[in-house]
Amino acid sequence: MTRIVVVTSGKGGVGKTTCTANLGMALAQRDQRVAVVDADFGLRNLDLLLGLENRIVYTALDVLAEDCRLDQALVKDKRQPNLVLLPAAQNRSKESITPEQMSTLIAKIAEDKFDFVLVDCPAGIEMGFRNAIAAANEAIVVTTPEISAVRDADRVIGLLEANDIRNARLIVNRLKPAMVQEEQMMSVQDVQDILAIPLLGVIPDDERVIVSTNRGEPLVLEQKLSLAGLAFSNIARRLLGETVPFIDLNAPHDDIFARIKRFWRG
Amino acid sequence: MNPDSTPPNSITELPTPEPNPNQQVRLKSQGGKLLLLLPAEAEGETGSVPWSELWEQLKHRLASGERFWQPRTPVHLLTRDRLLDARQFQEIADALAEVELHLKRVYTSRRQTALAAVTAGYSVEQHTPVAHLNQSPAEPGKPLEEPLYVEGTVRSGVEIRHGGTVIVIGDVNPGGSVVAEGDILVWGRLRGMAHAGSQGNATGRIYTLHMQPTQLRIADKVARPPETPPDQYLPEVAYIGNDGIRIALASDFSRLLANGPR
Repeated sequence: MTRIVVVTSGKGGVGKTTCTANLGMALAQRDQRVAVVDADFGLRNLDLLLGLENRIVYTALDVLAEDCRLDQALVKDKRQPNLVLLPAAQNRSKESITPEQMSTLIAKIAEDKFDFVLVDCPAGIEMGFRNAIAAANEAIVVTTPEISAVRDADRVIGLLEANDIRNARLIVNRLKPAMVQEEQMMSVQDVQDILAIPLLGVIPDDERVIVSTNRGEPLVLEQKLSLAGLAFSNIARRLLGETVPFIDLNAPHDDIFARIKRFWRG
Repeated sequence: MNPDSTPPNSITELPTPEPNPNQQVRLKSQGGKLLLLLPAEAEGETGSVPWSELWEQLKHRLASGERFWQPRTPVHLLTRDRLLDARQFQEIADALAEVELHLKRVYTSRRQTALAAVTAGYSVEQHTPVAHLNQSPAEPGKPLEEPLYVEGTVRSGVEIRHGGTVIVIGDVNPGGSVVAEGDILVWGRLRGMAHAGSQGNATGRIYTLHMQPTQLRIADKVARPPETPPDQYLPEVAYIGNDGIRIALASDFSRLLANGPR
């Protein structure tokens, strides 16, 4: 059975699209057939992160309007044959599609023997959110260790529960272990205390994410994985049911110099 | 919060009367059946609650109250003057079916709603709108409703309103709120807003294992927690003392009661 996973957060800019792109790629690398669906009509980004912008011919709306077949709209990844993207329409608003249409569309993709459909949800809890969660049977809630992001994630988890998506799991993105150690940032435990859903992974803050976004090359494609890339690939393994220990993000940063620095700062 | 020693910050009076508690979906057990009460159409200035919000409230209420009823309990739906169509009846029935409840009977004062319910195969009682005006909740001297059990986390954006005591088995998160005409008991962490005695009952109390609210309200009093958080959290009780809302350690509270209110 196809697993339909919505990647959502409530707040914007916490890394939903980055997570979708990297997890999609990491799952595809593990021989899963993956379709990533951009549900952010009017503000589509997922194609950029995957570097597939210039290959888009048709969008989800064209499929719904029956202007093309589904397989014509699915953009195959240039590096990874297991991965396809269903782009959103850029020139239309989120109200141009209904949750029912979204469900039909995703059911159609699921028929096509995909192992995973990852839906990249837009920010907010309005129509775009309702569309994105319509067909999902699992959810990944992405948050950063900030109270605003956690508050919104909490609201979203409540809405997911109301819509019978109960197996939501948490990704804490953009964690700065050094700041957590100095108690200037919420820890993963603080976030989990409030949200009370199982933790799927923690991704450290990394400037390479910006580079990878600009290049359209997901981090998990690197030859030698960065810490963030490794975190993504571990999350993909956990999604597949493997038990992977969480990376100890503190260890490499807490060297003797950091300790001395902390000591002097009091 | 520190027990009793420091009164919580800035005590102010609540200016406006509380919005009608009937703006929420309510469940009530009565004589072996469950009553599902929908808020009336267009109450107050804010207008009526949109269907999607009602549906969400219903789902939250059903998900957090499973121990409140036995499976296969018949449900009677009181729609008052709300217009419901066949699809909405179906959505209600689906939501109920998920927790093994069955919609049996519909009470309404709208002809169209009655028709939709009959078409969907429920037995229907239509009554004139005058009838329910008499049951308005503003009646003086009305006894509190039975306590409401809520199991699970009250998350941001969720508001539990009840015309009696509310017992939350779980946390109340920041952004979530509990408004009760009676007491509030949070068997977990209280980090959101709690309002006990919401219809002016100054004897309302708030009990919790972990008192870390964004705001406390009892009757017409409001209090913020102190700016500096305490070192540890112990079970505490908030009540109205001589000078506004006070907080005492739960272990000391019974002694406080015995010595009379302060």
